[in-house]
Amino acid sequence: MRSPFAYVPRRRPLQLASPGASVAYLGAIVAVAFLYSNLLVLVAAGVAATLAGLLAGARSAVRAGLGLGLSLALLMVVVNALVTSRGETVLARLGDWPLLGRVDVTLEAIVAGLSYGLVAAASIVAFAVYSACVDPDRVLRALRPLAGRSALTATLVSRLVPVAAADAGRLRDAAALRGPGAAAVGKAPLARRLLAGSLDRAVDVAATLELRGYSLDAPRARNRRSRSRYDRRFYAVAAVVLATAIAGKLLGADDFQAYPSIQIGLGPATLAVAAVVTFSGLAPLKRPTRRPAHRLEVARV
Amino acid sequence: MSELAIRRGAAPALAVEGLSYAYPHAAARALEDVSLEVAPGEFVLLAGRSASGKSTLLKASCGLVPHFHGGEIEGEVRVADLDAVATGPGELAAAVGYLAQDPETQVVSTTVAAEIELPLEMRGDAPTDRARAVEEVALALAIPHLLDRATDTLSGGELQRVALAAALVTRPRLILLDEPTSQLDPVAGDELIWLLRRLNEEWGVAVLLAEHRLERCLAAADRVVAMEEGIVGFDGAPADFLLWSREKDPALTTPAARLFSLAGLMPLPVGVRDAKQTLRGTGIAHPPHQASRRVRDPRPQAPVLQAKGVWVELDQGEETKDVLRGIDLQLRPGDRVALMGRNGAGKSTFLRTAAGLHQPVAGKIAVDSIALLSQNPGDYLVRERVGDELPGEQGMAALRAVGLEHAIDADPRDLSGGERQRLALAIALAGRMEGKQLPGVVALDEPTRGMDRARKDDLVALIERLAASVDCLSHSETKATRGTAVVVATHDVEFASEFAERVVLLGDGVVIADGPMEEILSGGWYFATEVARVLDLPGVVTPEQGAAALRGEAG
Repeated sequence: MRSPFAYVPRRRPLQLASPGASVAYLGAIVAVAFLYSNLLVLVAAGVAATLAGLLAGARSAVRAGLGLGLSLALLMVVVNALVTSRGETVLARLGDWPLLGRVDVTLEAIVAGLSYGLVAAASIVAFAVYSACVDPDRVLRALRPLAGRSALTATLVSRLVPVAAADAGRLRDAAALRGPGAAAVGKAPLARRLLAGSLDRAVDVAATLELRGYSLDAPRARNRRSRSRYDRRFYAVAAVVLATAIAGKLLGADDFQAYPSIQIGLGPATLAVAAVVTFSGLAPLKRPTRRPAHRLEVARV
Repeated sequence: MSELAIRRGAAPALAVEGLSYAYPHAAARALEDVSLEVAPGEFVLLAGRSASGKSTLLKASCGLVPHFHGGEIEGEVRVADLDAVATGPGELAAAVGYLAQDPETQVVSTTVAAEIELPLEMRGDAPTDRARAVEEVALALAIPHLLDRATDTLSGGELQRVALAAALVTRPRLILLDEPTSQLDPVAGDELIWLLRRLNEEWGVAVLLAEHRLERCLAAADRVVAMEEGIVGFDGAPADFLLWSREKDPALTTPAARLFSLAGLMPLPVGVRDAKQTLRGTGIAHPPHQASRRVRDPRPQAPVLQAKGVWVELDQGEETKDVLRGIDLQLRPGDRVALMGRNGAGKSTFLRTAAGLHQPVAGKIAVDSIALLSQNPGDYLVRERVGDELPGEQGMAALRAVGLEHAIDADPRDLSGGERQRLALAIALAGRMEGKQLPGVVALDEPTRGMDRARKDDLVALIERLAASVDCLSHSETKATRGTAVVVATHDVEFASEFAERVVLLGDGVVIADGPMEEILSGGWYFATEVARVLDLPGVVTPEQGAAALRGEAG
């Protein structure tokens, strides 16, 4: 079974754009999430990443990213509520806990945890979209002239991950198919077997790379697909998002305070930043193909 | 002077002189004083039993031996005038392409286009040259529709073609292939061999192909080199190879040649067309029609496996697919069934569903008890002593059932390939036997991958023993209460004709044929034995049956 985060080539703008443009675009959304604490802007960043993934056709990756991100966000809310007793609105007094001491659950701690959680969730969804939509070969190709050995290692690893995942699945199946009279397979022997198999696989993959001429010192050729017609769009959206986020930050759009009492700014600057960030999620939208006008004229004739 | 003879005058695509090689820490040499030449544009078939040195010779020809594997080497290997012993595989990549048995570890990129383009990029070719070369090789191998696909979504056959494209894209003078059809169904296997022949003829690329299923490729070869325990046992024309193998190593002969030998006909045919021509020449091109044997053992016992309208849906990343679509099937004690069909037809999925690894989304499957040996027996072996894998009396009973009780203290890694497979089967059987009684169903998934004829014969004997109600536990003549039903998913038509009494043919998740082996394997072209294709007689599939039919005509 394929990982939902595995790259799937599609004829969509985000996949067709050069890795630099895609990374700049998704990186801008992540940058907003790290720059801001305001819940509205953070939700906007999450929505933008989700929209981008859906418009790029990476539904599975978005679903898995949201699942992972929201679970982590929930965990952060719970942990923050338990370890932070600051805030004026006490919702529950849970008494003295071992290690934690006196635990008072406050609304402010929950909201502060939500802010941290939304940063994580938006970032995870954006990384999920990156993983499913940006061709790792093209990223590695871009890296190769800069750091050949690192690119080789990354190539080996990126190939070995799905191979090792498939091997692990097969080993699990074989363990399930063992007769009840055979020795039970513990995790340690299984892990040892997987590791030994992975080393063999690594040797095979390395041999293939060798046969493809990876070790040659030949001059590296220029990348044929270094630019695409969508690059300008993604670079422009990334620039607008970043410029708006920085300007908004300077103008006080990140108006958020959790302690001692909650204060969430919803002023024009905040709304403007949230709107720009949300709409940036539409960047991967593919325009419907227009029928050329001359065909209609021919039809009329 | 023939074109091949003229080409032979040019510098050879491969020249091996006095090559001896031993792997690191190996007790014996894998190759011993091997000398041979492959002319430009020549198609050479490398025959031989398992561990005879075929793969090592191929690896020495592309520089992996000794550069990648180490070991001690003597002699000279020259590929397109490059010294392969002194030059590494990277430098040789422009002159020689290599395709190994397992395509999964031969792709290193995420998309097909990137995979094919990689060798050219490494060589520093210009983008326009790369684009054209990728397009041309994709067209030559009929895979332009795959260029934008992710490599991890391809089937085994597609992956093998992509790996071949990546090996050919630099337009090498020589291509080396190590059992490339072992994981392919008969249709994909035949397509690959004839594709190689076409590339050989049109592009002039020399081919050195190692294969066990010689009937598949002998007719395409210009020459055969047979390896015997590291030395060249035979080097000559395909027709002469058949004469040699008949005398020296009958396990290497083809079914059609065996048919002619048994019928006392000459010359031995290198392929179906040759055989048909010879038969026409002798006036026995159309032996009398014989009614197929439809004798079915009524076997009143209750079925040990009963599938009724089984639908199985599998998640394939972005989408789900109905892999089985309403399968109805019954197995009774003692049945020997070959489950056949193209790659992706649903054979493995059916066996895995019977073993409980998948749940049907509709329909029912009831199994008495089942032991399934999956495609990679090595996956079952996780400990360093056979007795540790199979402790206690149940373990010993399972070892006895497969005839491995003598190996209880051995390290599984020291066993031969066939013994490891039997050990894995014993692991699947252990605890599923009631006393001396085997489980209701023993299922084997593609058990003959990479096997030579001798090992296949051993496997046939084991299957017959499991199914024939013979008490396996004591090797005595005592009869057990019943035999087990053995079902084998296989692409190997000749192997199926050896062990099966019934063939179930799957196509895209449905049963498209189910009947006596002789009827199914003589009723088509791809899923038919070589003898059936030669004689085209209903019910005649093995050399012995064919020879009997021919002798009847002659008499």
